[in-house]
Amino acid sequence: MTAKLTLSAAVLSVLAGTAGAQSIENKEAPGVPLETHSEETGLPYFAPGRGVVDHDAIRRRVLEVFDRQFGAFVTETQALTDVAKAYCGGTADEAAFKQQFHDTWMAWAPLDSYQFGPIESQGAALTVNFWPDKKNFVGRALRDLLKRPAEEQSDPAVVASLSVGAQGLPAIEMLTYTDGVETCPAVIGVAGNLHRIAVELHDGWFAEGGWADLARAAGPDNPVYLEPSEFTKVVYTALDFGLTRIADTRLGRPLGTYERSNPTQAEAWRSGLSNDIIVAQLKGIEDVVRFGFAGDIAENNRSWIYTVFEQTEGRVDSIGMPISEAVADPMSRIRVEGLQSKVHYLQSEMDQEIGPNLGVETGFSAADGD
Amino acid sequence: MKRRHFLISGAAGAALSMARPSWAMAGAPAYLTAASKAGNSTWLVGLTEDGDVVFELPIPSRGHAAAAHPFRAEAVAFARRPGRFAVVLDCATGAEIARLDSPEGRHFYGHGAFTADGRLLLTTENAYDVPDGRLGVWDAEDGYKRIGELPSGGIGPHEMIRLADGGFAVANGGMQTHPDYERSVLNIPTMRPNLTYLDADGGIVDQVEPPEDMRLNSIRHIAADASGRVVIALQWQGNPLTAVPLMASHRRGEALAFFDHPETVRLKQYAGSIAISSDGSEIAMTGPKGGHVLFFDGATGAPINGRALPEASGVARFGDRFAITLAGGLLEGGADGGKVLHVAGGYSWDNHLVSVRPA
Repeated sequence: MTAKLTLSAAVLSVLAGTAGAQSIENKEAPGVPLETHSEETGLPYFAPGRGVVDHDAIRRRVLEVFDRQFGAFVTETQALTDVAKAYCGGTADEAAFKQQFHDTWMAWAPLDSYQFGPIESQGAALTVNFWPDKKNFVGRALRDLLKRPAEEQSDPAVVASLSVGAQGLPAIEMLTYTDGVETCPAVIGVAGNLHRIAVELHDGWFAEGGWADLARAAGPDNPVYLEPSEFTKVVYTALDFGLTRIADTRLGRPLGTYERSNPTQAEAWRSGLSNDIIVAQLKGIEDVVRFGFAGDIAENNRSWIYTVFEQTEGRVDSIGMPISEAVADPMSRIRVEGLQSKVHYLQSEMDQEIGPNLGVETGFSAADGD
Repeated sequence: MKRRHFLISGAAGAALSMARPSWAMAGAPAYLTAASKAGNSTWLVGLTEDGDVVFELPIPSRGHAAAAHPFRAEAVAFARRPGRFAVVLDCATGAEIARLDSPEGRHFYGHGAFTADGRLLLTTENAYDVPDGRLGVWDAEDGYKRIGELPSGGIGPHEMIRLADGGFAVANGGMQTHPDYERSVLNIPTMRPNLTYLDADGGIVDQVEPPEDMRLNSIRHIAADASGRVVIALQWQGNPLTAVPLMASHRRGEALAFFDHPETVRLKQYAGSIAISSDGSEIAMTGPKGGHVLFFDGATGAPINGRALPEASGVARFGDRFAITLAGGLLEGGADGGKVLHVAGGYSWDNHLVSVRPA
């Protein structure tokens, strides 16, 4: 057994006798100490090849990442509400508003992977990002909103009472990027409602008795997580889902077929944010691997998976134009297809390099039910 | 074409069907269930009451439930949702008779039922971009060609069963899903499940919804007795820490009745399958997530007892009691015990046990 350990693991196993959190310099993320030991138990998070996975430590670290990611959505939607008011009041320019809209969507992008817990129970997938919108639900819902008096349009409570199409990022996008549509004051109401949703999502996770507490209380009496490893598996499965969303939905929908691409099925094609959203979602997934799982992943596996993430993000950059434009031209289309293949490759590498380290896989479980 | 005309039956069709292999010629299985084996191979399996495997037929991916033709040895194996295929198998020869592909904009939910004369197959389906629930109509006399669809009466139709009078009960679970989001529920804040009754022609004749405080208790799996009483296995979509009953029953003209059980908590808010014993004295309900089975009094709905059974998933009537699929085999028995039959072959059952014999 000892012979299989890498040098760093051997060093760590010597350190294991001392209780308390320990950290070493983190070469992959300078300035962010790499925790080597659990603060709770004093045990090392890993020893590659040891065959023991510390699911309690994984849960604690993953929840820290989620807290940051859901917290960022709260912060950005607050900022969006503020700048919407300033923009409509004439004290901020359109560029500032559009920049904040961009930042808000980028804060949502990582959360798209987590369709369980508060996002599912609060129905946030559709309220925040109603897409794909084949039947123009967003446009129709916005017509209802824009028929109302100005003071109602800017009231988040009024927006919350409308159909989901009027409530989310695509609604703000349509208000902002469609000629002949009155942006103000409706964006104030939509942004304010989005902020309410963001706060409720964060509370749903982290307020007392929230989903985080449920995960922390994993055990035989827990109605959701019978043991700590089940939360690890749910998170791992969610990351896999996020990659599927990128490959099959975010890229697959606009790609359509070679004969017939669907440029307007690209997410956020009006604002041209499609490519940045993909990068933001990839980085969100990478963050969970790097800061949530990493302590329990063997050195060689994790450095390889970071390389594949980097290569995948590079493929997005190399498209060099919005996906909605790229899919229509055979010369650039091939780069979108290349990205899609790369995301599928990343998915299979996750299955080979990361899943086994965590003792989880996305496959069959006889207790899945339906 | 008027939709109700789909289901009008004729004696000629039944006579024609008789020429095809009967269930006796397929080794007389009592039950059908989907299963997986190591290496993720997926199967439809026919089991006798002694737990013997009389056939195992390969299916393209993970199955959910099956529908047995009322007299021909034909079974339809449905893909697990959001599946887009169902396979019709000749259980005597193992041949694939037909492959059903869900039309554009639809996917299967994993359940279906034949009309009493065996001429038509109905399948629960998701019209996910609408969104709405549908029942696909397939002609079992014409190569299982799709000939139309009917409204299911709600969002998320899951299990549907044929009742003793030839009509149908449909569990509209209320849960809106979309293939882009895999299995996530998208409408919990507004979901409204219902139980819908159709007559033998496919027309909706009755519907019942749970009261407001049970609105998040999805009506997903059902069974019925000869009198038409329907019992329901529920899946709670609300706060997982809220204690709620997971069993309900309904008789047309009455309100839904909910039945709690001291061991409900062991089911992890998720009841998987339900059955009523032939003599009507017991109800068995499985909890695959919690690995537990609850038994209720068939007449009053009062709790009898419960039992830990790992991976307890499918349940069907067996004599006056039940057959229940579990890890490594079958339990045959009821509240007062029973015997566990080991089934060789390394199967993991998935997810329902379908009785070949009509109720």
